[in-house]
Formats: sequence, structure tokens, C-alpha cells
Amino acid sequence: MSDNAPLLAVEDLSIMIGRQAENLVDGVSFSVMPGETLCIVGESGCGKSVTALALMGLLQTPPVHITSGSVRFDGHDLLGLSVDDWSDLRGDRMAMIFQEPMTALNPAFTIGDQIAESVMRHRRIGAEAARARALEMLERVGIPAARTRLDAYPHQLSGGMRQRAMIAMALANDPTLLIADEPTTALDVTIQAQVLQLIRDLQRESGTALILITHDLGVVAEVADKVAVMYAGRIVETAPVEALFNDPQHPYTIGLIGSLPGLEAGQRGSRLATIPGLVPAPESMPAGCRFADRCPFATATCAEAPPLREIASGHAVACHYAPLEEHCAPEQAA
Amino acid sequence: MSTVVSAPAPRMQPQAGEVQPQIEKLPPRRSRVWEKLRRRPSALFGAVLVGTFVILAIAAPILPIPPPAQGDWGAIRVAPSLDHPLGTDQNGRDLLSRMIWGAQASLLAGVVSVVIAVLAGVPLGVIAGWRGGWTDATISRITEALLAVPFLILAIAFAAFLGPSLTNAMIAIGLSATPIFIRLARGQTLAVKTEDYVESARAAGVGQMSILWRYILPNIAPPIIVQATLTVATAIIAEASLSFLGLGQQPPAPSWGAMLNTAKNFMEQAPWMAMWPGAAIFLVVLGFNLFGDGLRDALDPRES
Repeated sequence: MSDNAPLLAVEDLSIMIGRQAENLVDGVSFSVMPGETLCIVGESGCGKSVTALALMGLLQTPPVHITSGSVRFDGHDLLGLSVDDWSDLRGDRMAMIFQEPMTALNPAFTIGDQIAESVMRHRRIGAEAARARALEMLERVGIPAARTRLDAYPHQLSGGMRQRAMIAMALANDPTLLIADEPTTALDVTIQAQVLQLIRDLQRESGTALILITHDLGVVAEVADKVAVMYAGRIVETAPVEALFNDPQHPYTIGLIGSLPGLEAGQRGSRLATIPGLVPAPESMPAGCRFADRCPFATATCAEAPPLREIASGHAVACHYAPLEEHCAPEQAA
Repeated sequence: MSTVVSAPAPRMQPQAGEVQPQIEKLPPRRSRVWEKLRRRPSALFGAVLVGTFVILAIAAPILPIPPPAQGDWGAIRVAPSLDHPLGTDQNGRDLLSRMIWGAQASLLAGVVSVVIAVLAGVPLGVIAGWRGGWTDATISRITEALLAVPFLILAIAFAAFLGPSLTNAMIAIGLSATPIFIRLARGQTLAVKTEDYVESARAAGVGQMSILWRYILPNIAPPIIVQATLTVATAIIAEASLSFLGLGQQPPAPSWGAMLNTAKNFMEQAPWMAMWPGAAIFLVVLGFNLFGDGLRDALDPRES
């Protein structure tokens, strides 16, 4: 593996549910370098969680199945792996944190048991060593009185504590890739910031690559190196984080950023911008650009699906009119 | 460990000379369950009730009581007295002795048949719920067909097929009770398998067998335990019914059910004949229910 080879490379991944005509996830491609943070942004139902589950090999098949594409992780072709080999990778080289900390821990065992189990599953170590590792991880994720919490059942911990325990479990085997699916959505705002900070610190310490799935652009701005914006199962724009916020190109991205509340004097008290319309339902996906129905710039050209084109280094957009500056006259854009 | 795992990731190793954290150990889980159980008087009472009958049943051969089948034509249907503390039956047999020996048959029938039902039903139910598809369809259709037949009728059919004996009665009752456990385990598995913690276990690379053993089973256990204690009670009564029909305990060996059914012919002349086995069944069933409730609470980690 050369130095600039991506840790994870997803090519043209398509996922279908049941026998529906349109793909749930359609031709998604992205890559993550070792130690890098990629944020996948999009609203509910845009396929970001399904993509994450596909990377982990956790899709419920049937009815959900991968129809095309390839996923290469650290030199392995994941989609070609046997069930056992994939399950050996999971929790070891790649780990996942789930959205709902209240239900993502086994209520029948203490959190110490659960972390130790995940360590013993992947490392040849005894129960005592695994327990010591569990304690070490709980301390690392900042759980106070970790020694007693080791023997706490999940219901005895608060949401934030449980999410910390989940993070401890996910990182217990020093994965090279961590996938976090909305890890802070279910938490209080103050706890959100702490947990986010914790994930970033641990990531920096261990050099783990992170795929963070979120709908919160504030989170993206804070942690991402690179962002992929998904809409209705497709990546509509991917860019380094500064480029995305400073120079968004896809009309959907512009709409998303425009809908954030601002703190500047002129913006306070004014109404937030919204994107008109709704995400198309999976059974009635438009054939061309899936955003066309809601796009203020849409023309007849948009009946054809736009490919993801690179318009600047690392900045790719799936829009016929990107870069917007060149294609749209000012009065049209207004 | 898999062969696909490449270079080991940097590990957090304790520095040399650093003091290894001393891990204090809490008592193991089993004794914590016992602690919780002990704090519940009703569960304790239930355990004592059941325990008393179990001890009496086990000690039957060494207790100073006449053999249960030994009649005395000079003492037919004698009311409770010093010679016969619980009285005698229509053949002059000592009821105390028959009650104690009968406890063996009744308790065995109750417990063994439920063990059979749980051992057969829970794995089938878990497999059906976990695998889904045609596995589930096959198991579920057979279960439903069996459930369509009333419990006792089914037990009578099995017992008649297997031949009359106490062992066969237990098997028959066990098989008849199996569908309840299949259904319960399947439904619970369906509910538990969609829980996030099962998914996060899969995300941690936990294997299928470990998931079934450590994630599914412990989380479906409480309702199954409660169902099992209730079914012990039902099974004791079922054994009584089978014995009455001549399909269970064979005379002259005693069982509470058989005694009760004989006693109903002498309700006016010798009411005590019915009283003892009736009271014993009541107490044992009550004991199992109280103990089962307490056990369910004690096994639930959410209860302190």
C-alpha cells in the first residue's frame, strides 16, 4: 500500500431495496485517506445510513441488496469477502458508532463485559487482559469513576455516558476506520459538543480515519476534512470542507447552507431560507437530475442525469450548470 | 483471527514500570441475582413452598411412613388421627404416605415436562425468529397446527400413542407444551433481533452463535422463565388429569392427580381425601408462581 493510497475507496456503489425500479443509493463514489475525516451530509432518507451499513456489511439482505459497485478497504475487496472474513474485519479494523446510544448496548450485560467481549473477539487475550483494556478505554473516553462503571449495566448510565461507552467499544481494537452514524443526534446539545470533541481527540490520537454521517452542517464545519453531500441516493457534491462552505456549487448544497441560521446582525430575526418541495419518494424518483423538481435553476437539460464532474481539485459537482458562475447569468441566479 | 487482517494497528500498551490498574471485582452475576431474590419475601416464600415439597418427595424412602400402596382393611376412610395424621383412603392406605410419595410423581411430571418443552421449544422458536423465511414458515405452521388442538387433548393423544406410564405422560405433556414456547421464543426473538444492540454486536464482528447465545437468549429469557413457571403449574394439573384417565401414574403408585380423582367419589364420606391433594397442588402451583415472578424480577438487570 503506497502512502497516498486511500484507506477506503467506494466506486459506483448502488443499493436497491426489494424490486423497486430506482436505486436507493445510486452510483455513489468516494474515498477516505488514512486519518482523514469525511462527512457525509444529507437529509433523512437520502441513503447515507444505508451507505454506511453497506460499508460495514450490515445491510439486511434481503430485501436490501447491493446491485453494483466496489468497496476497497485497506487492500481488501469488501464486497467479495466471505461473511466470516468480513465479520473478522468489523469491530477490528473498521468499527461503527450508532445513533441511538440508549438502545445500542446489550441490556443483559455490563458495559465492561461488552467492551471486553469485542476485544476478545478480535485479539488473542484472556478475560483479565480484556477487562483491563475495557477499563483503559472507559478512562480514555472520559467516563468518570470508570472502575465502577465497568460493572454498570447500560440502563444505569445516561445517554452521553452510553455514547461514550459505545465509542470506547468501537475504538477498543484500534480500528483504522471509524464510521459514526449521527453519533450526536440523540444527545443534548451540550453533550453533543463534548462527544464530538471526544471523537475528534481520539481520532487525532490514534490516527483513525473517520466517516461521520450527519445532517448537521454545524458539525460538518467543525470536524470534516472532506464533505460529500448526498441527495436522494446520489452524491451531488463532494469537496474539501473550506471549498464546500466558501464556494458551494450544487444548488442543493447552496440551499442547505442558506438554510442555516446565521449570527450576523443582518440575519438575526429574519426568516431562514428554505428549499421548496420535498425529497422525491423512492418509488417516484425522477429519471434525470433528482433535485430538478426543487431546483431554481432547472431547465430541460436537467431531464438527463448529470455526472459528478470535478470543477476544481477535489471539488466535484453533479450539476449540468457547475460551476454556476460560468453558466448562470446573475439575474437568472437570483 | 482472520487472515485478511494486515499490519497490526498501534496498540495502547501500558508503559513499563507503570502500575497496572488494580481491578476490583464485584461479585459475579449469579450471586447478584441470588441477592436480589433474597430481598423479595414473596419469592422466598415461593421457594420455601416448592423446596419443602421437593425435600419431602426426595426424602420419601427414608421417612417413617408406611409404604404408599399398603392397605389396611381395618382402617378404611379413617379421618385424620394420631395413627394416620392425614387419614386413610377407601383402601385403608395412609394418606400422608401417599401424599409424600405422590409429590414425587407430581413434581417430576411438572418439572420434567416443562424442561422438555423449554429445551425443544426455545431453540426452535429462536431459529424460526432468527432465520425467518421458509424456516420460520415451516416451524410456525406446525406450531399453529399443534396450538389449534387444546392442550389437554393433545397431551392425551400423545400419551395414548406412547402408552400409559408416568414417563410417557411427562413426554406427552412436554410435547404438548412445546408450541407455547416456540411461539413465545419466536416472537421475542423477532423483537430482540431488530434491537440496535444486536446490530452493534454485528458491527463489532460478533459471530452469529455468540449473538444468539449472548444477545438473543439473555434478552428473551425473562418472559420464558415466567412462562415456564406457569407451565409447571399447568403440567402438574395435566399429569393429574392423565393419571385420572389411566394414562399417567399407574395404580397403585400414588400421584396427587390420581388421588384427587379417586377422592371425588367420596367427597361426602371422606372430604379429607380430596382436601390434601387439592391443597398440595394449590400450594406447589402458588410456590412456583411466586418464585417465577421473583426470579423474573431478579434476572432483569433494570431492577435493582
